[in-house]
Amino acid sequence: MNDRALLTAMRLSDSMLPVGTYTASYGIEQYLNEDEIETAAGLGDLIEGYLRGVIGPAETVALGHAHRSAAAGDLDGVFAADERLGAATLPAEFRDSSRKAGSKLLELLADTDDGAAASRSSDPADAADRTSSAGDAAGLGDVAVEGVLAEYAAACEAGRTDGHYPVALGVVCQRAGLDAREAALVNAYASVTGLLAAAQRLGRFGHTAIQSQLSGLFPAMETVCDRYHDADLTAMCSFAPLADAMGMRHERADRRLFMS
Amino acid sequence: MTGHRDVATVGLGGPVGSGKTALVQHLVPRLDDAGYDVGVIANDIMTQEDADRLRESFSDRLPPDLVAGVETGACPHTGIREDPSMNLAKIDEFTERHPELDVVLIESGGDNLAATFNPELADYFMFVISVAEGDDIPRKRGPGVTQADLLVVNKTDLAPHVDADLDVIREDAATVRGEDPTAFTDCKADEGIDAVADAIERSVLFA
Repeated sequence: MNDRALLTAMRLSDSMLPVGTYTASYGIEQYLNEDEIETAAGLGDLIEGYLRGVIGPAETVALGHAHRSAAAGDLDGVFAADERLGAATLPAEFRDSSRKAGSKLLELLADTDDGAAASRSSDPADAADRTSSAGDAAGLGDVAVEGVLAEYAAACEAGRTDGHYPVALGVVCQRAGLDAREAALVNAYASVTGLLAAAQRLGRFGHTAIQSQLSGLFPAMETVCDRYHDADLTAMCSFAPLADAMGMRHERADRRLFMS
Repeated sequence: MTGHRDVATVGLGGPVGSGKTALVQHLVPRLDDAGYDVGVIANDIMTQEDADRLRESFSDRLPPDLVAGVETGACPHTGIREDPSMNLAKIDEFTERHPELDVVLIESGGDNLAATFNPELADYFMFVISVAEGDDIPRKRGPGVTQADLLVVNKTDLAPHVDADLDVIREDAATVRGEDPTAFTDCKADEGIDAVADAIERSVLFA
């Protein structure tokens, strides 16, 4: 990974990125409402379950397919990843949080990262070259006016596709010169830190306990990203029935500080 | 397509219990009577009961889909300052359904004296404090007090009961805010609200 791609990866996985992901807990708030998480270790185990049941086999598969499709100039392939990830995500609030954050990421980049690489072609024949050299260009290029990323952002804004966060991230990372596995790690890290941060704000977990869980989850992140970043889209599945039930109960929860 | 950039936005921040919700409840009828189409967003209303009560309180004035809560993940200041994207997304929803919308009032979750609104979220920002929190609040020079377009000192009726000196508050506010205005309100008696509504009208609706 070159410096520019690494900097972009850090930018996209930084909690400073203003795309509203801090408002999502993906069921963690409800687990805590129902006193289902008692210790930091229990929290870590639960999040490992998210990694192995959802972030790997659903999000990473969608992200990888979106990345490959973007590299090939195949906008329909990106739409397919969006559609299947939405279908595999049962709780309405999870879909909503993911859609909102994805759309906000695309809007943000359209507002901030234009002009730097306007000459780059969106011709699929150039895709391979673009993947390897994109990091030489500044930022993410002219997001507003050209390429699969721009077409995808326009389709999201027009309501023609959902703009789920892992899918948007896959397209953005491809554009920034990150390979699919690296992009998957960015997503896994951002997802895990988002869940841990939500738990830290709602429960009683020490900052060192949270950091221990984070580093303890690195091997699981690597494993699921290895396994699923190049998986076929049709292999996508999501299996976290208790998290799904928590997500659905959260819709009618008496106390709600998070959107999901 | 209309969006958050096409509608005037007014942010109301301030500590817990300073009367932000009461002020919104008194401002909406005035703006409505003046012929403006108004939407209301409340951050961190916490419980479904709060959400229902908020919607109910505007039921004779506003369409229910223009009164909404936005959860901010237990980070009220982040929702209005560092990352207002979910509040902006809600305003976009409002304007898509009601392109004629004139102004959106955004009530922050109760926070500390450092809470300020992101200028991309609120065109006009008022900071609401209560005399019952002590007459030394302006003197502390919190960013909310010093940076707000309008400082609202609410619950003036309680001043004699909590040994708060309104003259001290007035003088300190003038010292720390310079030329920027300060309003005194008593929402219970409906006093001082017109001045706040006028300030909104003058600053963001006529501008």
